[in-house]
Amino acid sequence: MFEIKRNENGTISLNGRLDASQVDAARAVFNQVKESCEVDFAELSYISSAGLGLLFGTQKRLVDGGGGLTLINLSPHIREIFQIAGFDNIFEIAY
Amino acid sequence: MTEVSGEFRREIDALGEVFAFLETFSDGQGVDEKTSFCINLVVEELFTNMVRHNEGGGDQIKVSIERRDNRVLLEIVDTDVEPFDPETAEVPMVDAGIGERRPGGLGIYLVRSMVDDLNYDYEPEGRRMRITVTKTLEN
Repeated sequence: MFEIKRNENGTISLNGRLDASQVDAARAVFNQVKESCEVDFAELSYISSAGLGLLFGTQKRLVDGGGGLTLINLSPHIREIFQIAGFDNIFEIAY
Repeated sequence: MTEVSGEFRREIDALGEVFAFLETFSDGQGVDEKTSFCINLVVEELFTNMVRHNEGGGDQIKVSIERRDNRVLLEIVDTDVEPFDPETAEVPMVDAGIGERRPGGLGIYLVRSMVDDLNYDYEPEGRRMRITVTKTLEN
């Protein structure tokens, strides 16, 4: 199960498991992001390279325009994946 | 120490069935949460690689898993396919800045980084690819 929601304040909330079979649903939302945005991982239990690739592509597009994603509430397992991938140097991970 | 196996459609949409199979194994074998996360990721990356790179292969991809003492042994078998050694996959520049990073190779890199051992073999006669993985339990 995976859900993605764009909240009224602009924050994106991820819920469930972001795997390769769910990444198109996430892409539809991230493609609408035009400026800096916070992404809440509090309810996300799993991510693979498919989700990481989507986040990377979004970040690259936003950084090129002077913005970027801020990631919050990563679980320890997901934070470790970001560290292995070297993504902790590419994203602002707030807490 | 009983090995369990499942055969899954060669489709990305089959991942839900693959994860359900792995969850049943982890729950039954008392595999800790961190190791279970790792097993899911390893199988997803290898499975999706096979689906994407082996178009025209057999209808099913076989996943087998076994707990042996404090280790989990995984085997993924794909048939009627061309050889593709994951060791030859591009290695991402994980220390590079966002401007220098290139897509590709991240999934296999994560797999290599998270497991103890990864082996690949290919039998030309049966056009059969087999990848085995060993992962020590985290807790």
